[in-house]
Amino acid sequence: MKSELELRGVQQRFHARGVADGYITAVDDVSFSLAASPPQIVSLVGQSGSGKSTIARNVLGLQKPTAGSVLYGGKDIFKLSRAEYDEYRRDVQPVFQDPYAIFNPFYRVDRVLWKALKKFKLADTRAKGLELIEESLRAVRLEPENVLGRYPHQLSGGQRQRIMLARVHMLRPSFIIADEPVSMLDAQVRKHFLDILLDFQTKHGMTTLFITHDLSTVYYLGGEVMVITKGQIVERGPVSTVMHEPSHPYTKLLLDSIPQPDPDQRWTSRIAVDELERVDDANPAADTKPEAPIL
Amino acid sequence: MRILTAVLRTIRNSRRLAAGLIILGVMVLLALFSPVIVNAIGGGKDPIEVAAYEKWLVPGPGHLLGTDQFGRDVFAMVMKALSVSLQIGAIAGIISTVAGVIVAFVAGYKGGWIDGILSTFTGILLVIPTFPLLIALSAYAKNVSLFQVGVMISIFSWPFAAKTIRSQVLSLRTRPYVDLARVSKARDLEIIVTELLPNLLPFIGVGFASSALGAIFGLVGLEVIGLGPGGVVDLGQIIYNAITTGALTLGAWPMFVVPIVLLTLLFAALNMVNIGLEEVYNPRLRGVAGE
Repeated sequence: MKSELELRGVQQRFHARGVADGYITAVDDVSFSLAASPPQIVSLVGQSGSGKSTIARNVLGLQKPTAGSVLYGGKDIFKLSRAEYDEYRRDVQPVFQDPYAIFNPFYRVDRVLWKALKKFKLADTRAKGLELIEESLRAVRLEPENVLGRYPHQLSGGQRQRIMLARVHMLRPSFIIADEPVSMLDAQVRKHFLDILLDFQTKHGMTTLFITHDLSTVYYLGGEVMVITKGQIVERGPVSTVMHEPSHPYTKLLLDSIPQPDPDQRWTSRIAVDELERVDDANPAADTKPEAPIL
Repeated sequence: MRILTAVLRTIRNSRRLAAGLIILGVMVLLALFSPVIVNAIGGGKDPIEVAAYEKWLVPGPGHLLGTDQFGRDVFAMVMKALSVSLQIGAIAGIISTVAGVIVAFVAGYKGGWIDGILSTFTGILLVIPTFPLLIALSAYAKNVSLFQVGVMISIFSWPFAAKTIRSQVLSLRTRPYVDLARVSKARDLEIIVTELLPNLLPFIGVGFASSALGAIFGLVGLEVIGLGPGGVVDLGQIIYNAITTGALTLGAWPMFVVPIVLLTLLFAALNMVNIGLEEVYNPRLRGVAGE
């Protein structure tokens, strides 16, 4: 496996009306790399609209960046040969945010698993395929008989999201691109989900790009964290360092936004809306390019 | 087989759909067997021939719906005209649905300048006043075949289907399950056929039904004002004859009433099918137990 994913100066602009120059820049000159070995979890943290999900779409090859390139094994993912493309597809797999919309309501949930089996030629016979599916479902702590043959609307959000994990488990990619996978799950199911991700890291050596706006999940996962704001990565480092000694004002603001689980420490300070703007205005460093973080 | 049971299940779940389909089915059967029925009425000779019987016979045992101004059996005429009307609906419905679906999927899924051109074109066709143009067209169309009339009418009815389906494609193609299919190495055509098309079946069904209805009623409209294309005898033609000869005053009421009742039933049936389809295909309205 050519196991490295690299973003080199990725920029993504979208046409938009009512903006001065006719487009908005969702991702602005982002560079970072992810290595498959040793397996790790890298979190990408930022507020809504900061460009996190766009980066996920770029990495997954669903959206061609306006400038810059996404490299897999040193090659641009939009210029891969057939064999390389097949390998890239197999090796970089997503878990999406919305456990409801990810399933086509027309089909039973088994279909996403069978489709993955067929497209990536994981099993030659139906019996073998079923065996793989059941094994993967058990790996994400789902009982096959409870989910197979059902329609998506008959399962809970947590079950559906774990079926997506079962799909990942079957494909064994080197990279999981998880775009806000737990934002629509409740607290207990969320921990469950994160544990499975950690499990995948240690047992199957999968590297996860974990995209979220929620610092508590980042803290739980550990590993590295990148902070993104306004389409630029402003900080990268081990979770403990970034959490305790944030260097960028935006990171500080983000950390201040976590409520303390202590009844005596009520959330008294208010963040004025314009403070978010001021952070950038007051700090010219935010406009300069962040150094390309190296792992 | 699985599709068949699924279809049966859907029909069982919706009374509206079942009622609509039954009425429609009966009419289609009548239309299919119309040559047999017409033969039976004639008993060896053609009951629709001019002067086959005496003219203006009132409804009775020999002639269930009486005869018209040329002595033709009205019941036989109605059967034949029903079959013609349904055929027009089917031809125009199929042509405009196929054209609409193709245009809608190409425009909606590909987007960009292709969408721009196709949407502008459908938009232009949509704002053209159809009926006057149809009148003008049919003035030139003497002795046209059924199929030609169907094509003529569907030229103006496919944009409606295209427009509604395109907007659905636009909203569906950004769904996460389409992205998931793409990262599972599905090709564009495969995504369109297996991910998008099934979810659009109710819209396509509605598109078909409304273009079929539009075609049938468009032709009836032309015939009733006496401007229909020559050579095609549909239900509208019978209504036109009833109006121009004053059939109602002569006691030949079935000539006027029966075609109208049939058209109303057809309209109701197709609409019930439309509404029923929508009910059934909205997955939120499906039973929680699924089976």
